[in-house]
Amino acid sequence: MITPTAEPLDTYTLNMGPQHPSTHGVLRLKLTLQGERIMGVEPVIGYSHRAHEKMAENRTYAQFLPNTSRQDYLSGLIYNVAWVEAVEKLAGIAVPERALVARVILSEFNRISSHLLWLGAFLMDLGAATPFLYAFDDREAILFLLESVTGSRLTYGTARFGGLSRDLDADFPRRAREVLARLKARWQEFVDLVEDNVIFRQRTQGVGVFTLDQCRSWGVTGPPLRASGVPYDIRKAEPYGAYARYEFDIPTRPEGDVFARYMVRVAEMQQSVRIIEQALDGLPEGPILTEGSIGIKKRLKPPVGTLYYAVESARGAYGIILVSEGGTEPYRAKFRTPSYANLGLMYDALPGTMVADAVAVLGSLDLVMPEVDR
Amino acid sequence: MSGVAESRWIAPGGLVSAAEAARAAGFFFESMTCVDRLDPHGVFELIYTFNRWDEPARLALRVWAPKDDVLPSLSRVYGIAAWNEREAWEFYGLRFAGHPNLTWLLLPEDTEFHPLLKSFTAPPPSIFDDSMNPSAPEDHGGAHDHAHG
Repeated sequence: MITPTAEPLDTYTLNMGPQHPSTHGVLRLKLTLQGERIMGVEPVIGYSHRAHEKMAENRTYAQFLPNTSRQDYLSGLIYNVAWVEAVEKLAGIAVPERALVARVILSEFNRISSHLLWLGAFLMDLGAATPFLYAFDDREAILFLLESVTGSRLTYGTARFGGLSRDLDADFPRRAREVLARLKARWQEFVDLVEDNVIFRQRTQGVGVFTLDQCRSWGVTGPPLRASGVPYDIRKAEPYGAYARYEFDIPTRPEGDVFARYMVRVAEMQQSVRIIEQALDGLPEGPILTEGSIGIKKRLKPPVGTLYYAVESARGAYGIILVSEGGTEPYRAKFRTPSYANLGLMYDALPGTMVADAVAVLGSLDLVMPEVDR
Repeated sequence: MSGVAESRWIAPGGLVSAAEAARAAGFFFESMTCVDRLDPHGVFELIYTFNRWDEPARLALRVWAPKDDVLPSLSRVYGIAAWNEREAWEFYGLRFAGHPNLTWLLLPEDTEFHPLLKSFTAPPPSIFDDSMNPSAPEDHGGAHDHAHG
């Protein structure tokens, strides 16, 4: 007769990644497992480190522009605008009203396109292939619109110190409203297709709950924080650009689980639509670039100083710490990226869950590895 | 320093107690920046920023850390400080006492230089990659092979 023993099960190590479909980039998780239960985790990062911070130190403020949108390639326009606005603040460059509003419109479109890509990829991780096609179809319409203004589909470099490189054309508001109408017709489809799906709910509800104490320790921001019930959004906390003049809500959910993070992002897309509609209604006429500012050709020499500039990216609070010594190049530029902090939380959040749930939790974070590695 | 509500210079020895007070007051760890001020001051400038969700107000703690000083680690107070300190170590060579795992975070293991130091200039490409310089001799220093990772 075999008698059950009280001896603990052996643990073993499993490398999830660096090449794994659910990591969406090159991330390796060293999981310590007991059966299928995760006992410990060590995220190994740096695979797509490109030394953006060193590059910033040996080129001019304008020459660094192409780097900005390559940190977070899914909401690159927001990062592009953040760099320009940080330098404008440091150097005291005025921005025309029309450019401020246009930046909001383009940034919010970029936020929606980023959330749509997340939506498709996240549901694909959970085994649902169909929503991916819907999400990419809508995202394509946004990328087409952004391309018509910026010339790029993904790595935008359209912001200039003192405005934008190109103006919105006369037909832009009409095309933008067409895209918005299309998006607004889609929300109910997502509810029918995804939200009320029993399998989806069982895979996500009560899974990967983040507590506020964990969020504080790891500096979690963005949708993961708001899904834990905290209405913290840089657009409201430290309004920048033209955001202070628009009415919008910060969607939150109290549960803190994977499902809550899904709900928050879907609600955020609807708020972005609200912001864009107001911005289009009040789009001022006038120049798109400050008179006398010759964009990238001018060699900027901001005065000596240290600056922290924060914006709300699609993934959370993005911060630029810029140190100027009065030269034509930044003395130091540090980028506080939201995915970095949100990934750190995995040390606390993954132990105790199952491997299959880890995929759901990782997917719900909407990580972009190049911004973690920089 | 602009963009912060409050900026305070503190001594390295006061870091842990200041961070503990921030944590108790409801602040989260936002960022840590190291600035090379070795030439001419012989020190590193460290800028820690904290913020809170309910009444957003960025708090910057700034430290003037003499070269070769070992700084106290904040990893017991804030989880994410551990990664930030690993970055400061690999990029600047700063050391932190009481850190659980002070190894490379973003750079390849065994990297033998601290690239964000102002004194660091990249070696010529041929050291990293033979294809850039076909005429390079076979043996060009084993140490650099590790650096390539």
